[in-house]
Amino acid sequence: MLEQAPLALGLAAFGCAIGLGLIGFGAMNGMARQPEAISKLQIAMLIALAFVELVFLLTVFIGVPGLR
Amino acid sequence: MEFLSNLTWLIAAGEAHGKGEGGKQAAHALEMSGLMFYVGLVALIIFGAAAVAKSGLNSKFFTKPLTKLFEQLYVFIQGLAIGTIGPHGRKYMSILFSLWLVVFVSNVIALFFPTSPTADLSFNLALAFIAVGYVQWEGIRANGVWGHFSHFAGPKLPIYLLPITLMIFIIEIISEVMKNVSLSLRLYGNIEGGHRAADAMNVLGQDLLIPFGAFLLPIKLLTCVVQALIFCLLFAVYLSLVTHHDHEEGHDHESHGEAAPAH
Repeated sequence: MLEQAPLALGLAAFGCAIGLGLIGFGAMNGMARQPEAISKLQIAMLIALAFVELVFLLTVFIGVPGLR
Repeated sequence: MEFLSNLTWLIAAGEAHGKGEGGKQAAHALEMSGLMFYVGLVALIIFGAAAVAKSGLNSKFFTKPLTKLFEQLYVFIQGLAIGTIGPHGRKYMSILFSLWLVVFVSNVIALFFPTSPTADLSFNLALAFIAVGYVQWEGIRANGVWGHFSHFAGPKLPIYLLPITLMIFIIEIISEVMKNVSLSLRLYGNIEGGHRAADAMNVLGQDLLIPFGAFLLPIKLLTCVVQALIFCLLFAVYLSLVTHHDHEEGHDHESHGEAAPAH
């Protein structure tokens, strides 16, 4: 379990990065199309970012034995 | 001078304790006195800054830069609260702003000191308990006890779908409890993760005598700001979920009018 943790963490980070990138992509597109909606888009984007990030953090807590 | 040496002793004791018990993995874990020292430091900074800012209040204009800074911060959080909760979000500004201050100052302390209160799971869990408990209280105050708890049961379904209502109720209760976990773990993971990444990168540059971890400081500063913001934002979202039945009509219209000039 201990030896496999780095690989699993890498995989988790891979998926998390894709998710974060998709959120940033969507938010940037929306902001470029409608600059007047930037404040609302930013808030929605931050909430979505927080939720995606949480998945990776949970993975870290389960995957890294020292943190449990 | 003696105070200073006591101070460094406290920090060192906080670090040594973690190393003694959990080995290398828990190097940042604090014992209770160390945590209390940092909590006291955070309280000192917040109350000191707020006292200085308050002394700059004037009937016509603000005399001190710190007062103006606090005003801008307040207006920013207020715009966020009104945009998220609606026009009655101004009511919750006191707790939102104090939580933002506590989380932000604790996060920034992590940039200068070996650790910080928010890098400790117990402190974050206490903050999350405060936030979620306040949300429950506000929900009960806005909808009544029965209304608040039937809010968990989802939409009104016919009586033969009672098992589904029960299932929704249980799942919603679990997700309500998980709000504590997600709020605290997110903050803890981000701040502590930053520390660990800096440590690991410092080891990386040990032979070249280059502190690679120090180059992470801009990202850590960004994390500090964003995490404090997200904590408040999610708190505001949870508040808006339990109180949005208040002024059902005209709510949307008003919030558009209010939120636009805030930014």
